Amino acid sequence: MTDVAARPVTTIYRKPRSETGLWSWITTVDHKRIGTMYGYAAFFFFLLGGIEALLLRVHLAQANSEFLTAGAYNSLFTMHGTTMIFLFVMPASAAFFNYLLPLQLGARDVAFPRLNALSWWVFFFGAIFLYSSFIFGTAFAPMTPDGVTGNIPINGGPGAFDFLASSPNGGWFGYQPHAGPFYSTGTAMDYWSMGLQILGLASLISSVNFIVTVFNMRAKGMRLLRMPVFAWMTTVVAFLMLFSLPIIAVALFMATFDRQFGSTFFQATNGGDPILWQHLFWLFGHPEVYILILPAMGIVSEVIPTFSRKPLFGYSAVVFAGAAIAFLGFGVWAHHMFASGISPVAQAAFGLATMTIAVPTGIKIFNWLGTIWLGKIKFTTPMLFSIGFVAMFVIGGLSGVTHAVVPSDWQQTDTYYIVAHFHYVLFGGAIFGLFSGLYYWYPKLRGRMMNERLGKLHFWLMLIGMNLTFAPMHWLGLQGMVRRTWKYPEEAGLQTWNQVETVGAFIIALSILVFMYNWWRSKTHGEPSGLDPWDARTIEWMTPNPTPEYNFAVPPVVESLDDFWRRKYAEDEEGRAVRRPEADQVIAELEEIGNNPPQPIHLPNPSYFPFLVGLGITIISYGIIYHTTAWGKALIVGGALLTMASFIGWGIEPLEDEPEDHTPEHLEPAEAL
Amino acid sequence: MASDSHHPQHPSISQYWKIAGLLAVLTAIEVSLFYIDDALELGALNVAMLLILAALKFVIVVGWYMHLRFERPMLNRFFAAGFILALGLYGVVLAAMGIVAIRGS
Amino acid sequence: MAEAVHPEAHGHAEHESTGVDSRKLGMWLFLSSEFLFFGALITNYLLYSNRTGFNIYPREVYDIPFTSVSSFVLLMSSLTMVLAHNAVARDDQPQARTWLFATAALGSVFLAGQVFEFTEFIVHYDMKLTTNPVASAFYVLTGFHGLHVAIGVFMLLSLWGISRFKGRLSEEKGMNVEMVGLYWHFVDIIWIVIFTVVYLIDAARV
Repeated sequence: MTDVAARPVTTIYRKPRSETGLWSWITTVDHKRIGTMYGYAAFFFFLLGGIEALLLRVHLAQANSEFLTAGAYNSLFTMHGTTMIFLFVMPASAAFFNYLLPLQLGARDVAFPRLNALSWWVFFFGAIFLYSSFIFGTAFAPMTPDGVTGNIPINGGPGAFDFLASSPNGGWFGYQPHAGPFYSTGTAMDYWSMGLQILGLASLISSVNFIVTVFNMRAKGMRLLRMPVFAWMTTVVAFLMLFSLPIIAVALFMATFDRQFGSTFFQATNGGDPILWQHLFWLFGHPEVYILILPAMGIVSEVIPTFSRKPLFGYSAVVFAGAAIAFLGFGVWAHHMFASGISPVAQAAFGLATMTIAVPTGIKIFNWLGTIWLGKIKFTTPMLFSIGFVAMFVIGGLSGVTHAVVPSDWQQTDTYYIVAHFHYVLFGGAIFGLFSGLYYWYPKLRGRMMNERLGKLHFWLMLIGMNLTFAPMHWLGLQGMVRRTWKYPEEAGLQTWNQVETVGAFIIALSILVFMYNWWRSKTHGEPSGLDPWDARTIEWMTPNPTPEYNFAVPPVVESLDDFWRRKYAEDEEGRAVRRPEADQVIAELEEIGNNPPQPIHLPNPSYFPFLVGLGITIISYGIIYHTTAWGKALIVGGALLTMASFIGWGIEPLEDEPEDHTPEHLEPAEAL
Repeated sequence: MASDSHHPQHPSISQYWKIAGLLAVLTAIEVSLFYIDDALELGALNVAMLLILAALKFVIVVGWYMHLRFERPMLNRFFAAGFILALGLYGVVLAAMGIVAIRGS
Repeated sequence: MAEAVHPEAHGHAEHESTGVDSRKLGMWLFLSSEFLFFGALITNYLLYSNRTGFNIYPREVYDIPFTSVSSFVLLMSSLTMVLAHNAVARDDQPQARTWLFATAALGSVFLAGQVFEFTEFIVHYDMKLTTNPVASAFYVLTGFHGLHVAIGVFMLLSLWGISRFKGRLSEEKGMNVEMVGLYWHFVDIIWIVIFTVVYLIDAARV
């Protein structure tokens, strides 16, 4: 933030090569390490969210089930949704952004490496904060009309796992006044609102960072319309986060003020309007949907051309469709509120606007199909996941269009039909896309391939499991099975399909075990990948695998879209790709130079201030929850002091976070590749 | 990277003072409009004039003090994007939540 | 920052870039997103301020002359900020420090005015945060603006302290003064909007 010139300018640290151990991970500002930490954290929370889902499925396998207490059930579905969205798909996408964006742009790092580390540590502490509610949180029965809480335990009813009921229980969208101070007593929902606040801050910081990176850090010749589609989708998502997160920040602050400081923004008892929460939440919430899906669309747009051995069909159409989805995504939020009594004009307008989103989405689908069409398709594991993505996403997208039809939506609202829809787009869509990316880019992380046989087993198990789990939800929902309801009666005839769903969920779990085994085993037993295992198109494959700390030993100079492909292939008269005779030589040279940088490379300094700032902000958040107590106030003051001191330390620490510092000095243009 | 036009054409110190004077005058007009309105009951016209004055001050600070006039158009577009998006989205929210109807009644 | 401004001089011409300094670009993006933040808070205020039936409305208790003065103080702090930036650009260290300090002082005066205003409203008019949603909206909106001012004062004083005790602020590192300046002016323009929309226009309806 701040710096002075009087400091000797020669303090350009050379990062020690043999950096290992815990401290190196805490202080790292390397985008690849940060991306890796994001990835592992995201996967850890994927497992937690998955276990929560399995508990829910076991419970729902039986009519009138009392496997879980009602309180535990509420907490589990809330934390399942919150975890999967904010602690799994978003950070998993952030992992890909972090790891790949600089590589795809031909850069050494992101524009602000320390801010990048800050994003990660704020996310990390925010996630811990949210999950600490399982230990520290409390949830009591709603206040009586005269305002008495009496600290009555929320449950006392039949069932098990009651200890889980102390975590947030108001649903992932925290509808007011249900999640307000009168109906959700105890601290559970405070952990939710403050926790999301912290996580939102992390994403906001990274959104600024990624946008600046895209605009200012591209390698020579990498014009905007030569960027890989994944880099484009990163940009679009960053803009979505930039403009939508401040909205949820305000909504969450207002909810926190209602809960902590006695305001009544959303509490109708004192003139507040709960519908305002819905507007603010979905103003953020709908762009959030695209924040979740567009990264996966970017991954798929990289994988499908590679394994169809054709350029992406309609590159600029895919890019502009992505931007159009984002733009339209800001204008459709009220379709989540058709049942809330908004005016007929608003219903018609938002219904129409929602349908228009199908147009750019359809463009993308047809472009992927056009890419596959007449391609020389290789059915590798990443390709299977990408094709699975397209198929499942189409199903989810089509059921989504049915929500845009207002009268039909009234029938579907708050039923399992909605649950089916968003699991098809988020599980069948986002998660298939993310797994596709994991298999595809695993060599960049490890220098080895993942096992194809196990990968395909994973794919087929997951595809079957997911359809068994989520397809029946369509008709269960239309039969009237209500979401977020603890019990359903036996006479309703819903039990059989619920049992099928539970079996499906366990098949998914099995597929994840296969994946984990594959991941772990491939680290030591995978085939060495070499530099270009997939005969890839984009420039992130022009560095050796695993990726060296400095990324490109010599910054690339880009001449076209799919620049790596251009270096390996020429076109014959009929437009078919013909491998250049020197292609193998090109790869060998890249490998050679990539491992032996001709010039010393300056990398940004490690720093422990991002870690401390993240810690300080989290301490303040704990303090706010317990602000009525003396130690709560002490936490606020202590956290604020730590944060401010860390910022000052950050400011006077030798600055290395400028793009130019990451490139070799005195590099003649002729030496550039 | 083209040079980032550090401040070749930025306003001079005396211009900064003049701009401050202009801002002060605009603020004085704003506040006096408020009091004149007490007597004249201009209603919507008063609101319009106050908004125009605020917009003028806004543009002057952004354009000259924040040097946006002298920056690349890209910054302008990003900044305008956030402003227009906020106006649009929150305008729709207020309309949908019936602020217009309640005012009319 | 010298490198970022004149990369060719160091043989680093290998980036495609917009030509805008990265930090400046990042700051403008952040400020742009802040419109959505304050927009939501202002919307919240306008919504409840236009609802009928509350026992007290902030517009009934505004002290317009007082707020006009404090608004003017904040407005003029933009002048001192820009003079500080100009002094750094001319490498006039004592002046730069003076103007930085003056800016922080004017910001603090504004904050003190806000504390006084809140106290007045609470003590004399019994309009508390918990009174009704429109009062809550007022306090949360102006309070978050005040928090932004306070953060600005913190950054200004940090710059001042660094310049005073660690060395000088220079043109190259002047980007930092420029960053803080952008932030500071932005907080000022948000107040221009709040003063007009939330104070003057709303109070004109009483």
